[in-house]
Amino acid sequence: MSEEGETVLDARDVAVHFGGRSTLFGRPPATVRAVNGVDLVIRRSETVALVGESGCGKSTLSNAIVGLQPPTRGSIAIKGRQVVGAGRRALNEIRRDVQMIFQDPALSLDPRATIGATVAEPLSVRAVARGGELKRRVAELLTQVGLRPEHATRYPHQFSGGQRQRVVIARALALEPALVVCDEPVSALDVSVRAQILNLLVTLQKRTGVAYLFVSHDLSVVRHIADRVVVMYLGRIVEEAEREVFFAAPKHPYTRALMSAVPEADPVVQRAKQRFVLKGELPSPANIPPGCPFHTRCPLATEICVSDRPELTPRPDGARVACHHA
Amino acid sequence: MSVLQPVRRFRPRLPRVPLSIMLVSAIILVIVAVALLAPWIAPADPLRQDLLGRLKPPGTVGRTGVTYLLGTDDLGRDLLSRILYGARVSLSVAVLSVLVSTLVGVTLGMMAGWFRGWTDTVIMRLVDIMLSIPAILLAVLTVAVLGPGFLKLVLVLGLTRWPRYTRVAYAQTLQVANLPYIKASELAGAGAARILFRHVLPNIAGPILIVATAEFGLMILFEAGLSFLGLGIQPPSASWGSIMSVGRQYVERAWWIVAFPGACLFLLVLSVNVLGDWLRDRLDPRSRIR
Repeated sequence: MSEEGETVLDARDVAVHFGGRSTLFGRPPATVRAVNGVDLVIRRSETVALVGESGCGKSTLSNAIVGLQPPTRGSIAIKGRQVVGAGRRALNEIRRDVQMIFQDPALSLDPRATIGATVAEPLSVRAVARGGELKRRVAELLTQVGLRPEHATRYPHQFSGGQRQRVVIARALALEPALVVCDEPVSALDVSVRAQILNLLVTLQKRTGVAYLFVSHDLSVVRHIADRVVVMYLGRIVEEAEREVFFAAPKHPYTRALMSAVPEADPVVQRAKQRFVLKGELPSPANIPPGCPFHTRCPLATEICVSDRPELTPRPDGARVACHHA
Repeated sequence: MSVLQPVRRFRPRLPRVPLSIMLVSAIILVIVAVALLAPWIAPADPLRQDLLGRLKPPGTVGRTGVTYLLGTDDLGRDLLSRILYGARVSLSVAVLSVLVSTLVGVTLGMMAGWFRGWTDTVIMRLVDIMLSIPAILLAVLTVAVLGPGFLKLVLVLGLTRWPRYTRVAYAQTLQVANLPYIKASELAGAGAARILFRHVLPNIAGPILIVATAEFGLMILFEAGLSFLGLGIQPPSASWGSIMSVGRQYVERAWWIVAFPGACLFLLVLSVNVLGDWLRDRLDPRSRIR
């Protein structure tokens, strides 16, 4: 299924490191390796979920993909055009094809701009439309996300969280991008509103063929929306698989730990479930353990894990896993 | 807390303006009106001297039959007329210099906060330098070089007071610049100028308004100080500050020369501060619905 369709995102060996530059006084601070060599390909109409605990580099990677955070190394191509090293003008052209939906809808809308002005901004800045045509396009976009055209004159504080996220989606889709990076788009919303927003995203994808990079730490949401799941740990991908394979047969011990942490609705199942508990804390990305970065917390770890870092290797069912033992 | 609260919500939504705000607005309006209408409402020529009728208390009837409602100054000029004319000078100096320093200060502050890097370093170190030079000394130097005059006074005040706005605008911009809606605007393709003036400025306007209203009062006082040093408004024209500066010497014999312009100044500055505080809250669209 992932074979057909044009490639929308092609990221190769992306790394984002922070700090480490020597200062005037004292020793340079330790380099924080937020993203440390990630390969990621997303095709048209595909939804790829990026999961992992906070601090694993999910958000940094998404920022790098939309060009808000220049990577230290590697290449990121959106529909064949290179984001890394692109000038302002080139970047603006690329951003027609890559937009972002943020986690907190309360902070993603300018409180002093009307909804109409916010949704119109991508169109008016690029002179795609103006005057009556612009108004018509804004009304159309608002209708598409389930709002009414007359909402255009209102301010963000007059809307609920779910409605605000609809506005954010309308703005992201205004330029008909090929890829939308969704940075935990529903985690700040009420559970009752989540399904609505997720369904809206799915509907819009069917209509426009947009691809989503769906950053989340909520596996139930991921199961609902993703075609493919990518698990990150300390700046690296540790497992990548199609949704069915991923949920039926998680392989990496870290993935299994994530899965076993999801509570089951049925208490009998919940009690019978084999718990896969991790010990210790997430190591600091400024001080990543040698060998397999996960060995400090892994229940399966042996000597080889301390000395050699496992590469992502394909498995018979199509999954790719970075583990010596799984 | 009682469960039964008076049903207030259903009142028609009238623009509810507190009494205090109406009062201070009225004071400001009156002062502005008086300044504009000074030539028509002043009872006497503010420059005409009457050395025999100097330092007369309020209510004295002069030899020409004019009643000096607020008394006369050290040269026998009608204090009321001088205050009316002085309002023009004081107001326009304060308004214009606040505008100049806001414009300069906020623009630089936003640039420093947005571009960071060397822009930040250069602008913020300049601010530090400006703040470490006594403003009055700088003003004295500038006027000594340029010579006194109304416009020069405005420029001197405006260009010595901008660092405060820069500091506030800088700190606020740093905060706002990392919010997702600014990032979204960047992703939408907006350039720095559009982001700063369309998205950052409206969202940092509140604190800047507070600084501006506080500075407004300071500007009037500053102008008074400069005029006192002979570097501001040149006699015989008057501002509230210069009237007070002169009256200071006679305060034991003629309290009114200092008291009346001082009272006007106090009322104006207080009113502007109260109004500015209220405006800041009102300008926030989130509070508009209340």
